[in-house]
Amino acid sequence: MKITRRDFLKASAAITGALTLKASGLMQLQQAMAGGGGAPPVIWLQGQGCTGCSVSLLNSVYYTTIDDLLINKLDVKYHPTVMAAAGEMAVEAAEDARDAGGYVLVIEGAVPLGENGHYCHVWEDEGGNPVTMQQAVQTFAPNAIAILAIGTCACYGGMSAGEPNPTEAMGVDDTLAYLGLEATVINIPGCPAHPDWIVGTVAALLAVLAGEGEMPELDEYGRPKDFYGSCVHDKCPNRAFGRTARTLGEAGCLAGLGCRGQQTHADCPIRQWNSAAQSEMGVNWCVGSRNPCQGCTEPDFPDGMSPFYNLGGRTGDKQHNRNGKV
Amino acid sequence: MASIIKIDPLTRIEGHLAIKATVDDVDGEQQVVDARSSGTMFRGFEMILKGRDPLDAPHYTQRICGVCPISHGMASCLNLESALGADVPANGRILRNLVLGANFLMSHVLHFYHLAALDFINTSGVIDIAPWVPRYVTGDMVAGSTASALVGHYVQALAIRRKAHQMAAIFGGKLPCAPSFVPGGCTEVVAQDKIDNFRELLAEQRTFIDETYIPDVLTVAGAFPAYFSIGVGCGNLLAYGVFDMDNSDENKLLYRGRYTDGDAAEVDPEKIMEYLKYSRYDDAGSGLNPADGVTQPQLNKENAYSWLKAPRYNNIVHEVGPLARMAVNYLSNDPTTIGLIESVLGANPDISVLFSVLGRHAARALEAKLVVDAMEGWLDELDVNAPAYVESDIPKTASGIGLTEAPRGALGHWIDISNHRIDRYQVITPTNWNASPKDDLEQMGPIEQALVGTPVTDIGQPVEILRVVHSFDPCLACSVHMVRPGKTEPEMVVYTRPSI
Ligand code: SF4
Ligand code: SF4
Repeated sequence: MKITRRDFLKASAAITGALTLKASGLMQLQQAMAGGGGAPPVIWLQGQGCTGCSVSLLNSVYYTTIDDLLINKLDVKYHPTVMAAAGEMAVEAAEDARDAGGYVLVIEGAVPLGENGHYCHVWEDEGGNPVTMQQAVQTFAPNAIAILAIGTCACYGGMSAGEPNPTEAMGVDDTLAYLGLEATVINIPGCPAHPDWIVGTVAALLAVLAGEGEMPELDEYGRPKDFYGSCVHDKCPNRAFGRTARTLGEAGCLAGLGCRGQQTHADCPIRQWNSAAQSEMGVNWCVGSRNPCQGCTEPDFPDGMSPFYNLGGRTGDKQHNRNGKV
Repeated sequence: MASIIKIDPLTRIEGHLAIKATVDDVDGEQQVVDARSSGTMFRGFEMILKGRDPLDAPHYTQRICGVCPISHGMASCLNLESALGADVPANGRILRNLVLGANFLMSHVLHFYHLAALDFINTSGVIDIAPWVPRYVTGDMVAGSTASALVGHYVQALAIRRKAHQMAAIFGGKLPCAPSFVPGGCTEVVAQDKIDNFRELLAEQRTFIDETYIPDVLTVAGAFPAYFSIGVGCGNLLAYGVFDMDNSDENKLLYRGRYTDGDAAEVDPEKIMEYLKYSRYDDAGSGLNPADGVTQPQLNKENAYSWLKAPRYNNIVHEVGPLARMAVNYLSNDPTTIGLIESVLGANPDISVLFSVLGRHAARALEAKLVVDAMEGWLDELDVNAPAYVESDIPKTASGIGLTEAPRGALGHWIDISNHRIDRYQVITPTNWNASPKDDLEQMGPIEQALVGTPVTDIGQPVEILRVVHSFDPCLACSVHMVRPGKTEPEMVVYTRPSI
């Protein structure tokens, strides 16, 4: 059976409700924090992605820097790109943290369900058998106190699920539904995700875990409204600018050249990217570099958002759009 | 008795890699006698690209790899520009070089400090929390005050690499994945305040490379002299070249060239072929140039043990990466490169020591210096009154080729446009070369060859294997040619010991 991403989006929209933490997990976590260390354990699994979201997280500075997060705020038990351990030792670290419970599960990259999950192996088990990303999600999701899907691949399939979706890649929500597991996922899409969206959400979660904050409010696609509550277009400086760009690289609104700002939920125009220091706005962003917003935070990125350009006779074929949308 | 070491996952790389090494006693020393590297993830990017608007290719392909998206953006833009016949304005070429240069610095610093250094430093007592524990601790590792200082630089390097991305975003729009990279140039404009901001950030990068990165590489080298002869590899080098200094495709900061069987020579892209004998593909596609590449998976093919194809130049195994680039520049008598290499190895150096774990680290650090110094000059060449982008039409039918370099080695994109859309898009990444399996002539891939002969003291802590593999800076998400995994690994272990 070929499962389409869209079928599952419908199914998972139905189960997305208010986020609730599991009481038992919360207790374990509070005990862990009381017992010293103070930072919640994090298990970060990578599926079908490009590691771009991890690299983006390394750029964090607006709320805090990555070294502060790793050293003081979180207890990252497993992250394949940064951890010292390799092989069996790394797998044991992940499994021990899983068995102890009370952890935050972070998933980067999509989960391929085709070929029984064998398009993505995360590691080999003791018996020498490959463990698929699908199996990892199946065994790591149930004990997590919260699940964060980071990047559009992990949230909705993203690039990895681009037509014809050769590996039947899916986001975490859809994967859990497929596996018959019930859990609410906080989706932090973006291709890649902005570091502030990740760290801001983690900060909110830490506050909740410390008993001091409210759960972030999520929209219908599981995205925290604090970051994805308005459209790119709503706050775009080009609206007040009163000019239309006739070609790329020209000042002015890029709506006529393919800009997806009106369909895309993210705070890029006011936050911008690659900030220099704490509490400082970023140095640039897509539309700031006079190139259209590509809609990278939306569930139907990239298929529903491309072709990215509408350059009149200059695109290959104006009619060419795989989803019939313009 | 031979034993097999499996490292799965091999961490501190980009993407999913498993290493299987056979270790046996050779003349009284326990060494790797056979090795295999396997990529363990497949997305099918080339299949996803088929049928799409060619203008979308730079944005799709940047998502192949989050560490070197800019290299894919560059390869894709060059590829399309060759198909479209677009003549990029000087500003566009320079802006793209600046963004790519910044990402090279980001990647090299990240690689040395955050991916590779933990193989050499014993951080016990310095930082004893996850994700830095658990870890291998071996007697040869640097400890004490040197280890503390290097851990301090590890933290400092996190900020330096972040600022390299900040610098890249000034003209790239954002990082990772630069929206401003388009066929025809760069959509971001040249403005004086942007140049000034870039220049200021560049100065900090330069200071770090001169005063911290290069000295730290030398510190590690001083502590591990044996690693100037471990991880030698195939000895042949290939570089497509990068950082065009004009629009001729002939004048580059890092030259196009190769070093094959002891001689420097030119590169003819037609001589690149991909072999499939030990890859899980139908043999009918073996020996083809990527412009004609066929990807026909065959899961249970006899003797196949890898999901990577084996690209070869003129049937010969070649290593790609900073070592290849610096050696090609050196052999091409580039005066700056000669000066840099001699500053480390002394006058009239024996460059064969560069074919090693430490040689690769040294080449990477020296290349960072070569690039950061050149970038300053590029800023001066920008013209605030000129455009950086030119429009061009997409022809109904065309073919293109885009050859450039990622921080970890030669990167090529090939396109066929038919009916204004992408008909075929092929990518050969650096890790396709370096992590390739054996080919039709039974030659092992570069990483496999480099592993053979590596001494392994404690098979419970095979840190020597990590040191060799990490020196190549592998990037597995990049390896888009991987085909789907079979459900059963053929149980075949070949004991070979090539005469190197
Ligand atoms: S550039 Fe895009 S986001 Fe900005 S105003 Fe125009 S359509 Fe809206
Ligand atoms: S502007 Fe649009 S394409 Fe760019 S990062 Fe924001 S949401 Fe993604």
